[in-house]
Amino acid sequence: MNNFILIITGILGATLTHFVSEQLKQGAIKASALLSLLVGLFFYCFPELLDAYLTKHIQIVFVGTSFIGMVSSKTLKSYPLLAIAGTLFTIIYISKNHVFDGYGGALGALAFIALLTTMGFAFVVSNSAKIKHKVSLLIRKIFNRNK
Amino acid sequence: MGKHKAIRLLMVATVLFIQITFLTRIVREHYETNAFIVIAALLVIISIVFGYKYLDLHHEDYAYEKISIVIWVPIGALICYLLNVNGGLGSILSMGIVGTIASFLPLLNKKSNYLKQIPASIYCGAFVGMSSVETSPSIGFVLAAGTLAGLYFMISKNLFLGVGGKLGTMAFAGVITATLIYWIVI
Repeated sequence: MNNFILIITGILGATLTHFVSEQLKQGAIKASALLSLLVGLFFYCFPELLDAYLTKHIQIVFVGTSFIGMVSSKTLKSYPLLAIAGTLFTIIYISKNHVFDGYGGALGALAFIALLTTMGFAFVVSNSAKIKHKVSLLIRKIFNRNK
Repeated sequence: MGKHKAIRLLMVATVLFIQITFLTRIVREHYETNAFIVIAALLVIISIVFGYKYLDLHHEDYAYEKISIVIWVPIGALICYLLNVNGGLGSILSMGIVGTIASFLPLLNKKSNYLKQIPASIYCGAFVGMSSVETSPSIGFVLAAGTLAGLYFMISKNLFLGVGGKLGTMAFAGVITATLIYWIVI
């Protein structure tokens, strides 16, 4: 259940930041910083509202995925892809145990990884016909050479 | 190979190396117990390499951020670290405060082009300042990490355009490099 809540938080962090940044035209930094401040303040004021695990990790996941939402609409404007990137971030975050804990910028680096992976994967899916064609050409070349 | 092209290549290679190192460390945590995570991490690494090769992430022109803008990275790092560690506010709240104040700085003078550019530098620095005491034991370390992050920020002006997480990655690169130097020297 906790993991599910964190994944929802991740999706919200990415999409909400992008919405505030692009639709409300507040800019990426203001959107990310302001939303992170609101989430941080909320848990600072109500530290015992949720259990200790969620209180600690909801903030971190939200802030981390808000970095994903900072992506410009020229680079990525699809909300479903942002949601996928947010989910991927959360899954990697849950799996990472204590790797690079306490290192400043680690969340940003993780956000970059999640976003780039999602964009790379989306590129593969949208260009699958071209890629298939290139791969078949390559196989044919190798096969003909062997002949 | 031109000087600028070599610097760009080095920067992209550094970021790719950091990302793969990050994922490899996660794989190392799980490779004996969870094969699914290992396979997933390998798929992520392949997607990243694919992304670097085919996605249009960089501007063709070579350009570097001005030092007058980059100087705000260590300043942002220092302020965030003081709020985080000395002020006891915690990393998230400190970063939120520094980032939010920085994002409103352009309102001081809407015509100033300089003020419009410094929020990104300060926000990048704030990520460095999110480090814990165990990782960044002194203010001197934070300033060094902030300066290195500033250097990466300067070089990457026309790289990874509009990609979320770029500032954090520069900060992370700064902290990792400072940690490595600290480990070698001490």
